[in-house]
Amino acid sequence: MNLKTFALVAATLGATAAQAQTVTVMGSTALGPLMKRAAEMYMKSHAGVQIAISGGGSMTGLNQIAAGNCTIGISDVYATPDQEKAGIQNNDIVIEPFTLVVNPSVSVRNLSAQQAEAVFTGAVSNWNQVGGPDMKVIRINRPESSGTRAVQQKTVLGGKPFSSDQLIMDSTGAVLTAATTTKGAVCFIELDFAEKNKGKVEAVSYNGAFCTPENVKAGKYPLFSYGHAYINPAKTDAPTLAVAQDFLKFITSQTFQDDVVPKAGYMQVSLAAKLKTKL
Amino acid sequence: MAMDAPLAAPARPKRPWTLLADRSAGSIFLLCTLVLVALILGLLGFLAWRGLGAFIAVPGNTGRVLSLREVFLGLDWSPNQDHFGVMPFILGSLTVVGLSIALAGPLGILTAVFVTQMAPKWMRALLRQTMDLLVGIPSVVYGIFGLATLLPFLSKGWLSDLPAAGFLASALILTVMIIPTVVSLSMDAFEALPRSLNEGARALGSTSWQSTARVLIPAAWPRLVTAIVLGMGRAIGEAMAVQMVIGNNPQWIGLMRDLTDKTPILRFLFTPASTLTTELVQELPNTPAHSPWNNVLFALGLLLYLLTMGSILFTRRMAGKRA
Repeated sequence: MNLKTFALVAATLGATAAQAQTVTVMGSTALGPLMKRAAEMYMKSHAGVQIAISGGGSMTGLNQIAAGNCTIGISDVYATPDQEKAGIQNNDIVIEPFTLVVNPSVSVRNLSAQQAEAVFTGAVSNWNQVGGPDMKVIRINRPESSGTRAVQQKTVLGGKPFSSDQLIMDSTGAVLTAATTTKGAVCFIELDFAEKNKGKVEAVSYNGAFCTPENVKAGKYPLFSYGHAYINPAKTDAPTLAVAQDFLKFITSQTFQDDVVPKAGYMQVSLAAKLKTKL
Repeated sequence: MAMDAPLAAPARPKRPWTLLADRSAGSIFLLCTLVLVALILGLLGFLAWRGLGAFIAVPGNTGRVLSLREVFLGLDWSPNQDHFGVMPFILGSLTVVGLSIALAGPLGILTAVFVTQMAPKWMRALLRQTMDLLVGIPSVVYGIFGLATLLPFLSKGWLSDLPAAGFLASALILTVMIIPTVVSLSMDAFEALPRSLNEGARALGSTSWQSTARVLIPAAWPRLVTAIVLGMGRAIGEAMAVQMVIGNNPQWIGLMRDLTDKTPILRFLFTPASTLTTELVQELPNTPAHSPWNNVLFALGLLLYLLTMGSILFTRRMAGKRA
């Protein structure tokens, strides 16, 4: 009798376990809110699927997916060659626009590509060299391991090294706090963050174009990158992998991309094909 | 016979459960101790395994094997350009700790002299409680205070609106954080001295300064050193609060040399810099696992562990000498 009950319970538990699929997502804090929104919508229409999302940063996401410790690793940057060797597969899910912002004490509202590069490489160290007030340029940056910093180095600096005269903060939020409280500050952040802090920092246009989805679409604004979602087919069991792939299909679907992505401060990944600037 | 009565064993026989519990007590306590020791050794082993991987070829590692020389004597930290010198972090930590001890040591010891030798009793109790309270405040609170209040204050006062992040701001925050440790332990040190020492010195005509400098402090010296070393231990391990006010710039050595818009002393105090702990907080979670970059950061963790352990062993030795 006892054995029978035990077998019954075990069978029930086994059946439930087979039905409830748990997908774990780790990585980029910039992509986190969008993934959370997607997960809520997906779980509503797919009973028995659990999607758990945690942060940690782009590199954490890439590390964990390469090691097989999560189902989906999200990142603002491409995986390193070593991580790719682990057999992980990339899916581009959104386009993330970035913008230059300054402390309101700086009257400069536009930088040409050359000026922006000079500001960050250190060739320009006073705002009066680019038409602003006589005030020292205070560059606020992320640590070398940051995805945002990598995007900035590639797009704004053309791969050149940053000036060593800079303050470094460990998250976009901390960068923004420093930029709002420091006179002469300039930094490079996600569009979404800049919009939420209008008034505390001022957006600066790049080559005459402000960071807007329209300008990115028209090819006038080149400072953006892909949001990546990596999966690891070799280290994920088949049913979970199937759910993860279906979830990613949902994120890249027309409905989600058109209805949710623009409201969250991102752009539809399908636009990439039409863009003149290549990532 | 009457004398034997209180010594008689309790008449109630022991139940088997009590006997068992009694007998197993030793092994259960031993187990607890072993778990604790295993945790500490496990942590050390983990740090050593990941940290030493920077210098020895370990399976699973990516990238090249670094030499101890280029890491621990190197001045340039730019991992994306394959430079892994950690000297800026070591020097940064030493500078910040040195500055904060230079401030907190005299301040803490003289406070303790006042409280134990001159202040009324109620003030002594009040101060002790205040110090205990200060120890309990989470470090991020000190950090936010530094970021929101101290940095703007320093930059407006001395720097004509340049950012104040750097060694001075970090040392000031650390001073506030370690002063409770220094004061509490120094108070213990002075309270352990016989009252006759101070009274004798005063009876022979010493002024307060003379009895403090020539009698009390020398007599309590070994314990005062312990107080300072434990304060240093807290300072060197602190990450969060320092991270928020130091500016976190690994290239600070070159920057301090090249910046010419401030006088040398201001340059030293207000150049954004970084320390062992701030670099770990900033980059450890964001670097590819088993890469040289990641391994070197673990080696920094190991170095911090050994430094802290060294300071504890040092205080033990001082305590041993006293006994």
